[in-house]
Amino acid sequence: MRRGAAIVLIAFLGVIFATIAVSYSQRSSLPELAAAYVDLVPRELGAPNVITGILLTYRAFDTLGEVAVLFMVAAGVGLLLGAGGEERDEGQAGIRRPLKETPSTEIVQNGADILVPLIAIFAAYIAMHGHLGPGGGFQGGAVMASCVLLLLLAKPDYRIKLAHLSFIESLAGLLIVAVGIAGIILASGFLDNRVLPLGEFGAFFSAGAIPVLSVLLGVKVGCELSVIIERFRA
Amino acid sequence: MPIASIVLSTGLILVLIGIWGMLTQRNILRIIVGFTLMGTGSHLVIVAIGYVSNRTAPIIDGGLSLAEAPTRSVDPIPSALAVTAIVIGLAVTAVMLAYAIRLYQAKQTLSIDAFTDSKW
Amino acid sequence: MAELIGSITILIGAVFLFSAGLGMLRMPDAFTRIQAGTKASTLGNTLVLVGIAFYHPDWSLKLLIIAYFVLMTNPISSHALARAANTILQPAQSPAADASRADRKRSEA
Repeated sequence: MRRGAAIVLIAFLGVIFATIAVSYSQRSSLPELAAAYVDLVPRELGAPNVITGILLTYRAFDTLGEVAVLFMVAAGVGLLLGAGGEERDEGQAGIRRPLKETPSTEIVQNGADILVPLIAIFAAYIAMHGHLGPGGGFQGGAVMASCVLLLLLAKPDYRIKLAHLSFIESLAGLLIVAVGIAGIILASGFLDNRVLPLGEFGAFFSAGAIPVLSVLLGVKVGCELSVIIERFRA
Repeated sequence: MPIASIVLSTGLILVLIGIWGMLTQRNILRIIVGFTLMGTGSHLVIVAIGYVSNRTAPIIDGGLSLAEAPTRSVDPIPSALAVTAIVIGLAVTAVMLAYAIRLYQAKQTLSIDAFTDSKW
Repeated sequence: MAELIGSITILIGAVFLFSAGLGMLRMPDAFTRIQAGTKASTLGNTLVLVGIAFYHPDWSLKLLIIAYFVLMTNPISSHALARAANTILQPAQSPAADASRADRKRSEA
């Protein structure tokens, strides 16, 4: 777009945004729906983290849709970048590889030796404690994928078995839907978390099926992002 | 100045910078960076709208007890929407980068001026 | 008093972080950009964490662990980036480097 037209458009948008920003006054009380959620989630679901309670029970269908979006993205990136894992050894003509495989240096290897277990434990902690503090499935999955990225950087001849990862990811997705259907049969709706006992408030094994869903989400998201990273490497 | 207004203005400024970057840059990677900036700005705007004066995060632990939660926590719904939005923004960035790689392999250049032949 | 020291430290850290961003914009070459980005931003991060430790002394251990993590990961990642850049790119030619090369040749001849 030409400079002049871009400046006019940005100025126009700037005026609209300035009007929004100036006339916004900070709230002093919660809106009705939010007050209802903050009241209901600790009481009925037994989850201290209100946001995870909303994301994994009251608005769990949106989370399922987001999981579907991530799955589509993994499939789309796989389609765009070709089947990287299997055809790498044949030296396919379409995919140019400007760099030869160079081994990584001592710094990265030693650093990875220390950091990879730490990051993996941290990812598992975030995914499992979604109902007790900030965190949850998506965040834990993203940290897990960064751990895989570090492993790929440190050991360039580390081949991720894409078939295994795809199988684990699909199994996790299937288990999420199975927990949801169990919610219809045993409790009051799809992906209701009262299929498992609510337990004591604030304990680790509490809030019903929310930790289970959190862990499954973390596994699924971690596998998906690792598959995407591996495809980018090819 | 109230906190929500500061964060809201920062988010809107980031959206403007992102849109400007998408419109005027010619390198594909810079256009992708502009898109990501716009996404981050919109996340800030979403979270800023949910802030209530002098209140804290909606997590019930040592700092916020169960009884006073409805009167001392901010709005949890925009934060939940922001979590979803961040993950989807990441996914869209991954697809855009894959497209950039394929475009580079097709024409060996990263400028979008080389790809104008399909316009009519 | 502790809050004043903490605020000044956070401000200095913010200045370093800003200069890291400015350096990444204005440096002529990939290698100098990597150098500006890593060094200044690691120091800025550490100073901000130290400033927060002045505000909340009971969080010191957690902040120390975070600072340790930052110190571990930033240099490793910049080393990997610089090594990758070395494989594909050549450093930018600079007049100062040419002058020093000419000086050395003149002194050896």
